Amino acid sequence: MKEKIMAILEDICGAEPGELEADTELFEEGILDSFGVISLFVEVEKQLGVKLEPTELERSQLATPAMIIAEVEKRA
Amino acid sequence: MNLYDGLLFFIVLAAVLVGAVILGLCEVRLKWYGLVATVAILLCVFDSWQSKACLAGFYILELLCVQIYLQVHEKCGKRPILWLFLLISLAPLTMVKLQPFVGTLGFFRLVGVSYMTFRSVQVLIEIYDGLIKEIKIADFSYFLLFFPSVSSGPIDRYRRFVTDLERKPSRDEYAEMARKGIWKLMFGALMNFGIGNFIYANWLAVLPESGLAATISYMYGYTFFLFFNFAGYSLMAVGTAYILGIKMPDNFNLPFLSVDMKDFWSRWHISLSTWLRDYVYTRFCAAALKGEWFRDRRTCSYIGYVITMMTMGVWHGLTPAYLIYGAYHGALMCVNDLLDTRWKRFKKIKKSTVGQIVLVLITFHLFSFGLLIFSGRII
Repeated sequence: MKEKIMAILEDICGAEPGELEADTELFEEGILDSFGVISLFVEVEKQLGVKLEPTELERSQLATPAMIIAEVEKRA
Repeated sequence: MNLYDGLLFFIVLAAVLVGAVILGLCEVRLKWYGLVATVAILLCVFDSWQSKACLAGFYILELLCVQIYLQVHEKCGKRPILWLFLLISLAPLTMVKLQPFVGTLGFFRLVGVSYMTFRSVQVLIEIYDGLIKEIKIADFSYFLLFFPSVSSGPIDRYRRFVTDLERKPSRDEYAEMARKGIWKLMFGALMNFGIGNFIYANWLAVLPESGLAATISYMYGYTFFLFFNFAGYSLMAVGTAYILGIKMPDNFNLPFLSVDMKDFWSRWHISLSTWLRDYVYTRFCAAALKGEWFRDRRTCSYIGYVITMMTMGVWHGLTPAYLIYGAYHGALMCVNDLLDTRWKRFKKIKKSTVGQIVLVLITFHLFSFGLLIFSGRII
């Protein structure tokens, strides 16, 4: 699941494979924005069957790839 | 009596807040005290029988709306049912917005209807999302009517608000909250009554009504006036909420230091822009992405920005100035998004000192021009 979420994130952020680290600050670095977040939620639901509602998580809970993976895994 | 206006209001407010501080320091939960104080203050603010009746009608409609939808949603979670309840919830606000065009609706006047409707609508949407599964009448009533932010925001979130209601801070925790609250209340009053009123009296009020130089001066004056006036009001509301044990989020964060419009909307009237982001923009984008409505997925974002900013314009009112203001900000957000995604140097410029200074000035002027449209002076 980790690899799949990282691949979705890389695709959404337009990053090369391996470019994003587990602790990359996605919002602070300007890599992820509001559209990126909702694209991520839609793709996670499509590819992994895990549904995340737009206001379910604060940005502080999605700050890095590792945090996003943890939140998705909790709901899988 | 008006909210945050006149000696009488501040005497009543001081009495209410002194009581809250005493109870808070005795580690008494402030939920019921705050609810009773809210009802009492609103009954004083809505001083005519007509306005009391409008408030009561609105309150009953919104309460029934969320309670019935909660029951209905358990049995049938279809989206058209949500739309039906949203239309019912939005009916009073729609009546107010249509008054300039439909004179017969003039009987319904309600201060704060916009902000209270925002609160109710988000509850309905989060019931649909499955994030709100239970609503206590007292909690919802307090949230809907919470007097400090009823007329000018900020727009709090139900789940966050209820968490504060359930918390019972220790004496030291409450003392710290009350200290911050008093500071925010005083600083907000200084911004609003001191600086805001000074700018109005010595800058805006003495300007000629026409002429290019006067209009340019008005643009700057109005921008600063609105900031100090509005941010001051918001801060007073946040400070009052803190003293009542509610950690209401701040509504402004140095907006004139923004490097682009996206940054700006994360610093100006934050509770409105995040509300629109969460309940309009992301909803449209999610539906468009799931339905694959557009070949290029970024198109969802551009159209989403225009819809979101037009919603903001319509929420302010249906006059041409507000609609153009909404369209203007929709266009600016699209340009901002294009720069972010298509011009790689933009990110680097935003990080350099000189780039930041230039971008701060450009963003400030783009927003100020927007406010000139908003003010109705040029349209």
